[in-house]
Amino acid sequence: MLELRLVQGSLLKKVLESIKDLVNDANFDCSATGFSLQAMDSSHVALVALLLRSEGFEHYRCDRNISMGMNLTNMAKMLKCAGNDDIITIKADDGSDTVTFMFESPTQDKIADFEMKLMDIDSEHLGIPEAEYHAIVRMPSAEFGRICKDLSSIGDTVVISVTKEGVKFSTRGDIGTANIVCRQNTTVDKPEEATVIEMNEPVSLTFALRYLNSFTKASPLSNTVTISLSSELPVVVEYKIAEMGYVRYYLAPKIEEDEEETKP
Amino acid sequence: MGIKGLMKLLADNAPSGMKEQKFESYFGRKIAIDASMSIYQFLIVVGRSGTEMLTNEAGETTSHLVGMFSRTIRLLEAGIKPVYVFDGKPPDLKKQELAKRYSRREDATDDLAKATESGNKEDIEKFSKRTVKVTSQHNDDCKKLLRLMGVPAVEVSWKYSHSGSRVSFRWLLLKQRLSVLHFARQKRHVYAVASEDMDSLTFGAPKFLRHLMDPSSKKIPVMEFDISKVLEGLELSMDQFIDLCILCGCDYCDSIRGIGPQTALKLVRQHGSMESILENINKERYQIPDDWPYEEARRLFKEPLVVTDDEQTELKWAAPDEEGLVNFLVKENGFNIDRVTKAIEKIKTAKNKSSQGRLESFFKPVSTSAPVKRKGTKCVLVSPSPVTKFKTLSLRSRPGVLGRLIFPSLELGSNYSMPLFRHFCFGI
Repeated sequence: MLELRLVQGSLLKKVLESIKDLVNDANFDCSATGFSLQAMDSSHVALVALLLRSEGFEHYRCDRNISMGMNLTNMAKMLKCAGNDDIITIKADDGSDTVTFMFESPTQDKIADFEMKLMDIDSEHLGIPEAEYHAIVRMPSAEFGRICKDLSSIGDTVVISVTKEGVKFSTRGDIGTANIVCRQNTTVDKPEEATVIEMNEPVSLTFALRYLNSFTKASPLSNTVTISLSSELPVVVEYKIAEMGYVRYYLAPKIEEDEEETKP
Repeated sequence: MGIKGLMKLLADNAPSGMKEQKFESYFGRKIAIDASMSIYQFLIVVGRSGTEMLTNEAGETTSHLVGMFSRTIRLLEAGIKPVYVFDGKPPDLKKQELAKRYSRREDATDDLAKATESGNKEDIEKFSKRTVKVTSQHNDDCKKLLRLMGVPAVEVSWKYSHSGSRVSFRWLLLKQRLSVLHFARQKRHVYAVASEDMDSLTFGAPKFLRHLMDPSSKKIPVMEFDISKVLEGLELSMDQFIDLCILCGCDYCDSIRGIGPQTALKLVRQHGSMESILENINKERYQIPDDWPYEEARRLFKEPLVVTDDEQTELKWAAPDEEGLVNFLVKENGFNIDRVTKAIEKIKTAKNKSSQGRLESFFKPVSTSAPVKRKGTKCVLVSPSPVTKFKTLSLRSRPGVLGRLIFPSLELGSNYSMPLFRHFCFGI
């Protein structure tokens, strides 16, 4: 028996919007501690990890660990039917092949039940080791979204380099080049507008803008975004969900031929 | 060709071991491709109708170049890093073997002449296919083309100290395919082997792709086989799987009358090994051929006697040599200059694509369901440690072992089981 009641229903809608472009089908894993998902895009270049901790739900009951395979497009279709102020409850019986989304209007005068078929998804779960990153940049999520959008009109890839001066996003395309530098800036009125750069080592990596652009779909979830970079690891783009968890995206860098590793 | 009925058996019993993949999803992967087989396919398929072949001004065939050029570009555009594996010089064949081989093609040539006279189009098509042969000239042309395109071509040769009369020509042809597979095993950084032949699995290619080289117009998805999952699905060990394939009937060894893939699987599951099957089987119902070299076939699957040329171990995908390509294709072989320059542009843009990394090279999958035992099998298959390598080498150098490779039954009337190879020939 699974029953998760989320007062802030719009949050689940936003979460779905943030991952459905990247992944078509995924397994949602429920355990006593929370509601989570890990899925790779079809080309195995990007990975999304979602966690909604049980404490964030008004009511959280999960008797045993279950994994529910869902088509995210269909799930998003159903969640679109929920109003922004609605309370959403996710329900599933043990051994059932369906999941039910219940939407209650805040005034309790309308209750809608949507039942969705589950699917068997054969997916690989990747082990993501905890790592120390060379550089961590925290900046307003809207700003990051804007940069990615602007750069993708010029080129396909972005070089993100972090130095003492700040973080530089640069691209080049057929029509020319673009460079955007963001300096550390903590003297703002609101803390979420700050740009904070923690750097242990300068780092510079190349990424496909297409993926970064789809990550920025999570901007409505959080005012700030944290970008963690290390020269040997995929970049992590994290959007924190207040008091509940996070949506994290991992993206494999582009690798220059000559420094390519020989592992399979 | 390959293992009889294996494809269907796998589809029924181990569906998780095979999956259809989009051609595009192999970007960034290094894939070993059997060059000789591809060239042969190009000669058959590209621009040939009846006895007419695509030729340059001097009348030399260019089908293989057209095919190699366009297919390779297609791979590169998808971000795949192909490695073409050529075989080195075949060992000296006994005269009688040479004679046999030529007489077969001469038969076909005669038939072709007859068919041309009578004007039977179907026959012309059929027999002209059979007269197609891959010469060392074709191989050299393709190697040159690949070098100019910046695609690595590796030459693999096999150690072969025994040229006794018992070793038939067919056996040599088979070995040449093994060289590709073995190459993939030694070079772990090749992700998969592309071949059309099901017995690639039996040779322990960890991942094996079918239909990769099919023309895009056919729109056939690539079929990926994962040996560890196949074994899991069949509930067999690798050794048992090899026995299963031998029972089903492979190219090296005839099958037992009355035993098909389903029965074979049942027997292997029930008895566990070939020895105990042979002990327990109903001898009246199933006639085991007197001279049934299953042990040799088994050894052959496990240890193909192939060595790679160690000097060429480094695989590099370089930038294309534009001037060289134009010279070679346009001036020497009559290609259209516009097509070639466009293609060169494609190669250059494709370079960029193949540099995208994959998450798997950073994060390893954690399998939660696979039993420990299966994982052990997988490890052995995927990582030929220096120790095993040494072992195969030492076996190779032991003269006694080679002497025991007796394959008299290779001539057993299954001529039609491998039509592609019947007239496969290298100018020596």
